Amino acid sequence: MDIYDVLLRDFPFLLKGLGVALVLLALLLVMGFILGLAICMIQLYGPRSRFIQWPLIAYERVFRGIPIIIMLFIFYYGMSGLLDITSFGAAVLALGFRSSAYQSQIFHSAFQSVPAGQMMAARAVGMSRVKAIRHILFPQAARHAIGPWTNEFSSEIKETSLAYVIGVVELTRQAHYIITSTQGNVLTVFAVVALLYFIVNRAGNSALYAFEKKLAVPGFEK
Amino acid sequence: MSESLVLDVRNVTKRYDSLEVLKGISLGLNKGETKVVIGPSGSGKSTLLRCVNHLTKPDAGEIYLEGEAIRDANINAMRARMGFVFQDFNLFSHLNVLDNVRICQMKVKGADKKTATHRAQQELARVGLEEKASAYPAELSGGQQQRVSIARALAMDPVVLLFDEPTSALDPELTGEVVRVMQQLAAEGMTMVVVTHEMSFARQAADEIIFMENGHIVEQGSPDAMFSHSDHERTRAFLNVIADHG
Repeated sequence: MDIYDVLLRDFPFLLKGLGVALVLLALLLVMGFILGLAICMIQLYGPRSRFIQWPLIAYERVFRGIPIIIMLFIFYYGMSGLLDITSFGAAVLALGFRSSAYQSQIFHSAFQSVPAGQMMAARAVGMSRVKAIRHILFPQAARHAIGPWTNEFSSEIKETSLAYVIGVVELTRQAHYIITSTQGNVLTVFAVVALLYFIVNRAGNSALYAFEKKLAVPGFEK
Repeated sequence: MSESLVLDVRNVTKRYDSLEVLKGISLGLNKGETKVVIGPSGSGKSTLLRCVNHLTKPDAGEIYLEGEAIRDANINAMRARMGFVFQDFNLFSHLNVLDNVRICQMKVKGADKKTATHRAQQELARVGLEEKASAYPAELSGGQQQRVSIARALAMDPVVLLFDEPTSALDPELTGEVVRVMQQLAAEGMTMVVVTHEMSFARQAADEIIFMENGHIVEQGSPDAMFSHSDHERTRAFLNVIADHG
């Protein structure tokens, strides 16, 4: 049996691994989105008290300043003494927290790129701050955020492969199993795996780009 | 006394650090009156206008709208009854013209879509832009954007309209279309406070002109009195400079 037969036979395992990677990606991005948006809202519009603002700054710096592989070890091996956590759960948390730190920065600059006059005009007609943020600022900030968010999507799909190190059976680990069982063929197997990552990445980028174009405001230069 | 006034500004002061921008300004408007505030830059005209609807919070003094004092607790409801027209328009850039005029009615007054649409079309017709309803702000000239922003303010049925240098950001050839809309509103009996350098508008449409300098009202009076025989040296000097440039 040559390697191509093996690949053909084991391709469903690769797809299964890809599926795990995509679920991990979706969960970490959603978690990062919700937490990141909340952090950004508190930083921009929340109480100015340092007891609230400083911990957020610290959170952001810590999660952006530590290698993801260390984060994975901490969340899996470090936490396992404290709570019963699967390697998949640890990967979602480690990657999700880190993504929230990056996403909060993306939203932060997106909201700041909306001119101050927009908030002023919304308040001047009697909108509350919450209404102004929701109906006037958010739709404009979202348009500014899609570009940088596409970058975040691209890096996170690649980062999911690092969950390999704590034993999550995602695409990279499935590939590793095939290599171990056939004793070799590293180049061929990883080339197939690389192609799968690449396809998902391109597809996601194209979809987000199409979304950005669809939301584009006529006559409005970015 | 204050009961009959639509807008009653009493002894408003505002200070930025060591700079006292408003040193106790009072003014009142009866229904249907147009008052034009003029004065050199830095005189506090725009600050005064922003203090009226608390976009800038006054340090002291009271503002009454139809006899009711403006407070933090009622600020959104009070602002909904005062139209504000900005120097740089500030149209909502992600919404088309129709939605710009509709959104405040729907989100602030709770109007349904049909009512809001009908009202928006009326106001767009009033400023001569009904055919631009589906255009986006960035596709319009400055003069058109300013007319849309006037329609946006009018659609809320304000009891008073505040104009903060509405033509100062416009190319000279575009000021005419905005001034004509303002003249029409004044003639129709809208109650308005207008901060402007458009002396032709002041002369023609104002019931009273207020000349401000250094945070004080130096002089106020009818356009005729102010333009032809002002008692004050400062007013005459300012009007001469404006006349030379206009």
